[in-house]
Amino acid sequence: MQWTEKYRPKFFGDIKGQNLAVEKIREFIKKPDLKEALILHGPPGTGKTALAYVTANEINAEIFELNASDLRNKEKMKEILRPAIEQKSLSKINKLILVDEIDGVSEVDRGGLTELMNLINISSYPIIMTANNIWNKKFSAIRKKCELVQLKEIDYKTIKDVLIFILRKEKNFVDNDILTNIAIKAKGDLRAAINDLQVIAGMEEPSILTDERNKEVDIFSALRLIFKGKPTNDVLKTFDSVNMSTDEIILWIEENIPAEYHGEALARAYDLLSKVDIFKRRIYRQQYWRFLLYENIFLSYGISSSKKETKNLGFTSYKKPTRILKIWMNNQRTAKKKSIAQKYSKYVHVGEKRALKEFPLIKKIILSNPKIKKELKLDEDEIVYLKG
Amino acid sequence: MVSEIWTEKYRPSKFSEVVGQDEVMKRVESLTNSLNIPHLLFAGPAGTGKSTLALIIVKELFKENWKENYLELNASDERGINVVREKVKNFARTKSLGTIPFKIIFLDEADALTPEAQQALRRTMENYSTTCRFILSCNYSSKIIDPIQSRCALFRFKLLEKKDIEKVIQKIIQRENLTITPEAIEKIYEGSEGDCRRCINLLQSTSSISPSITADLVSTILSDAKPKDIKVVLDYAISGDFQNAREKLFDVMLRESISGQDVVKAIQKEIWNLPVEPEIKVKLTEKTGEAEFRIVEGSDPFIQLQALLASFVLAGLGK
Repeated sequence: MQWTEKYRPKFFGDIKGQNLAVEKIREFIKKPDLKEALILHGPPGTGKTALAYVTANEINAEIFELNASDLRNKEKMKEILRPAIEQKSLSKINKLILVDEIDGVSEVDRGGLTELMNLINISSYPIIMTANNIWNKKFSAIRKKCELVQLKEIDYKTIKDVLIFILRKEKNFVDNDILTNIAIKAKGDLRAAINDLQVIAGMEEPSILTDERNKEVDIFSALRLIFKGKPTNDVLKTFDSVNMSTDEIILWIEENIPAEYHGEALARAYDLLSKVDIFKRRIYRQQYWRFLLYENIFLSYGISSSKKETKNLGFTSYKKPTRILKIWMNNQRTAKKKSIAQKYSKYVHVGEKRALKEFPLIKKIILSNPKIKKELKLDEDEIVYLKG
Repeated sequence: MVSEIWTEKYRPSKFSEVVGQDEVMKRVESLTNSLNIPHLLFAGPAGTGKSTLALIIVKELFKENWKENYLELNASDERGINVVREKVKNFARTKSLGTIPFKIIFLDEADALTPEAQQALRRTMENYSTTCRFILSCNYSSKIIDPIQSRCALFRFKLLEKKDIEKVIQKIIQRENLTITPEAIEKIYEGSEGDCRRCINLLQSTSSISPSITADLVSTILSDAKPKDIKVVLDYAISGDFQNAREKLFDVMLRESISGQDVVKAIQKEIWNLPVEPEIKVKLTEKTGEAEFRIVEGSDPFIQLQALLASFVLAGLGK
């Protein structure tokens, strides 16, 4: 059985990392008259559908699920929906209508969106919709009718906690580093992380690096050839056998130039790398892929020829580029900074950007008085961030 | 509940309490007393009382119902003009509560909107003119398109003078049982650059260290609040330690979230303080200019900055 199914949350308390959204939904179902509709929106794997099912469970309702193609079929809609929405008095059971993935509903396509609007207007049952991107223009009419609830990318610590929880239940064990790696790689998508975990936990020797490790062997010998060898025409073909995109190779070279080159060789090599970067932008801007050829030549032969003599023949241990990961992790951290600035700016009538600019001062002020933390309704994570 | 954040706690709630904007206050107060106001445009630097005045107006007009009749938006934070329009639409749909026949929408930093977006805003202002009054705020009125300016009464806010800032500081010092030296007041005024919000924030964060505020304490707070300098990075590079130079640079950029172009600017200024020959300074400036150009042309500023740091390593070798 898929773990994503097995460990699907049942109650609000089971939902991890989406406190704000859960709070909003509790408010929504507390209202006595459940006529409005609700849209849960956010990136894949953040718990939209799960949250809809949990909501149904919490209010003892039966889920009535529709998808985009059902909406397009007018006859079918009539057939299915009319009884469901009009005969409320006949059955005592609550119903909750779930329209999953409304991104798939197209505006031109035989009035799928119009039908959805009708549904919202006439339904006497609460409606929950899910969407990845609710800011699409085609949804502007629907947005007005609905309460929007945003689900955020789940931060990697929360993902890791869930993974550990599942492993305990399964009486299984996976190395801590690998867990961290899965959690970070998932980029906020909990479902993807759980799926990865199930695959890895099932392996004899758990390791997610199998695929990446092979790549690394290739890149290591390629780097050695370029940095230590003489520039020959063979060097031009170095990257043919490396199963890696040019953009990734750029990062590897960037990380490791200073391990091999110094002084003038260092400056020449970086100058070439800087030109590679300019070609890279030209490719993106003009979609002229032939420029890739020059990138390749500079990265291999060019970097190799940057040195005057080959004297550093000993072993050099090349490092894996970590810059992108660090930037990503930093963004995770500053996400907290942003959410604090958001709360602060609403409260003191100032723009968010301004609050971010003044953040060092604001941080001191918030920390100076516990009452302010309460006033701003900062959560545990945000306070930890401020103290850290 | 009284806020513990001083910018809120000491926010003026009456026209007479606002410092430094006497002319504006007189005119706006008489407008407000007539119970009918036109659209308003507040132009002036940050921290001079624009949001405060908007809040005073709504509280005067609606008394205890002000929250229901007031919408505050910040143009630079919302996701574009469409979101602004939608929020305005939702808010304007219902009638105002009480005797005043309109509601008030305060759009802060309206000059962050592009001219096209301002055109759309103008339409919105017209559509809801029977039920809503707009108060727009901006730093420069010239950034607001003429059709909007002509629909608003314009008020210009001045930077606060030293005597105004001093008044604000003294009031807070007294209420919070603090002491302050004249030099510290001078320092806070300098650091605040006439921005009253920043002045109060400076005062509160300094007071979190000690209740007797001195110029030295204020200086510590001010230097903490400034991004750390690029000098250390260049010192590493000149001494030939490229690895540390780039690590430090990356750190600074991440922590302070500064862009590649900002770094280049800082480096360019720092060149003149380096212990190298004049001709090398010129060479480095040329390299810096080239790096700035390549950052604009290229895709990854950090690669361009590393190339620049490598030139500083060479400069350290006298080349």
